[in-house]
Amino acid sequence: MEAVRNALDFSDFPRLDLTIAGLFAIALILFPVFPHSAFAMSTMIQFLMFALYGMGWNTIGGYGGQVDLGKAQYVGIGAYTTAIMLIRWDIPFWVSMPIGVVFSVTWSFIIGYPLFRLKGHYFAIATIATSLVLKDIFEVWDFVGAARGLEISPIKYHPPDFLRLIFKEDIYYFYVILGIFFIGILYVNWFRKSRLGFQLRSIKDNEDVARSLGINVHWAKIKTYAIATAFVSVVGSFHACYIKNIEPEDTMSLDISILIALMAMLGGAGSLWGPIIGAGILIPLKSYLKAWLGAQAGLVGIDLIIYAVIIMLISAYEPRGIWGIIEKIRRRKRA
Amino acid sequence: MPLLEVHHLSKSFGGLVANDDISFEMEKGELVGVIGPNGAGKTTFFNCISGHHAVTSGQIVFNGEDITSLRAHEVARRGLGRTFQVYVAAGDLTVQENVMVGCFMRTASRSRAKSRATDILKDLNIRDLSGYLVSELPVAAQKQVTMATAIGAGPKLLLLDEVAAGLNPNEIDIIMASIRHVHDDMGITVMLIEHVMELVMKVTHRLIVLDYGKKIAEGEPEDIARDQRVIKAYLGERYVKEHGAG
Repeated sequence: MEAVRNALDFSDFPRLDLTIAGLFAIALILFPVFPHSAFAMSTMIQFLMFALYGMGWNTIGGYGGQVDLGKAQYVGIGAYTTAIMLIRWDIPFWVSMPIGVVFSVTWSFIIGYPLFRLKGHYFAIATIATSLVLKDIFEVWDFVGAARGLEISPIKYHPPDFLRLIFKEDIYYFYVILGIFFIGILYVNWFRKSRLGFQLRSIKDNEDVARSLGINVHWAKIKTYAIATAFVSVVGSFHACYIKNIEPEDTMSLDISILIALMAMLGGAGSLWGPIIGAGILIPLKSYLKAWLGAQAGLVGIDLIIYAVIIMLISAYEPRGIWGIIEKIRRRKRA
Repeated sequence: MPLLEVHHLSKSFGGLVANDDISFEMEKGELVGVIGPNGAGKTTFFNCISGHHAVTSGQIVFNGEDITSLRAHEVARRGLGRTFQVYVAAGDLTVQENVMVGCFMRTASRSRAKSRATDILKDLNIRDLSGYLVSELPVAAQKQVTMATAIGAGPKLLLLDEVAAGLNPNEIDIIMASIRHVHDDMGITVMLIEHVMELVMKVTHRLIVLDYGKKIAEGEPEDIARDQRVIKAYLGERYVKEHGAG
């Protein structure tokens, strides 16, 4: 009961924040009502998906300070589980999505156990490695379509199919992911106030102190890593139904892992709103850059340069990102 | 039954013997000090007891249970708390949240952890610091917060590693009052490492002295202050020869 109350309780935020968040939520709900282009709609859906990826990353990476650059492997596990189950056995999304979460979490335990023996940069590098290895396996594994990937052909179904999540119009996808997005916010809001959330923040502070307070550091990290994984896997499953054409390259590449971490860091690692702010900046930027500049041959890859600049600016000036800057200004005003 | 028994504890790092065959017992309700020159192995001694270091040989029994091979968090959960000499608070936890982390060891409920943390802060007279980040505070206040956090976990025995280091005389008085309060009123058994002799002499019941990893003396503070071996460890052999003992 207390957990539910904590998830719904946002009262520790200033009223200004809550007003902005409330208006933003209403704007999101009403967005499809207003005239919009198909491009804007797909950018919006991408934004919600990446905000969720970022929120998942934020539990272990932000609150726990464990920089994870391998989140894409769980996008892949989620997406492939849903796609394979739908294509081969006609299993609907709402069944395959939780199964995907089980697979992802199981995998996260298997690799998390040795991975969290490592610290700092070594941990980050190891997460990249596991993600890339999994991608390489999927690229040669015939059962999952190897490098060609899988295609969900919508002709076989009768959209709107709410069970299988096959729709013609993006508006349905928008509301499904928006619902998941709101649930995700409540979940992180619970997490940051839970015992596990406090333990993770203590671990980020100082692991020896955390141990002296009875915290099993290794296990707390693995548990939180599993939570982060579950988030990413759910959205990965959604990705399969939404994009319908999945390949190892666009579900599990390093770019996606880095983008997920970068968004959360830009917006503010270790804060509830950070990943949403980060996704709100980077996803439109990415979409529009691709649309405007990507067409010009010489400018392909310019988005990577922009990411690199952002990483450098964050690490040099404010490791806690945009939200860190806002909090700093507020503290100064109060003092 | 003693609360803490240490039997023939040794700890070496490669070739360096940091603790050499230390044996020691402590009853519930005592307030014991560990002193010794720099590098005598005091912090290593604490790290072995609290499970932060695996011991090389020997046995540690806490509250009747052999805790020698337990890991730090398991030792902590059995009621053996500690603070650290160098505390780097890099994170974004406020004072109250810090103390809550300690309280969360005994409860999963946030509201219970929060009210307990508030009580402890009130009890140690630092409630007005609640909303600050630990990194924003002066050293003296940080030390009090680390004590409060350790107390949050509800220890039977609390190891304090140089809580008075780097403080001015006023602050030392405040810390001394806090230590007495923790021991006398909260009923927590305390063992402390300290270089500030004024504090050690005033608050402890018994002292053990380490030098080069060995226990060289043990006894009441007044006796220790006159002990030849202790004076030699601190001031050198020549001083003892020239001035005699006492």
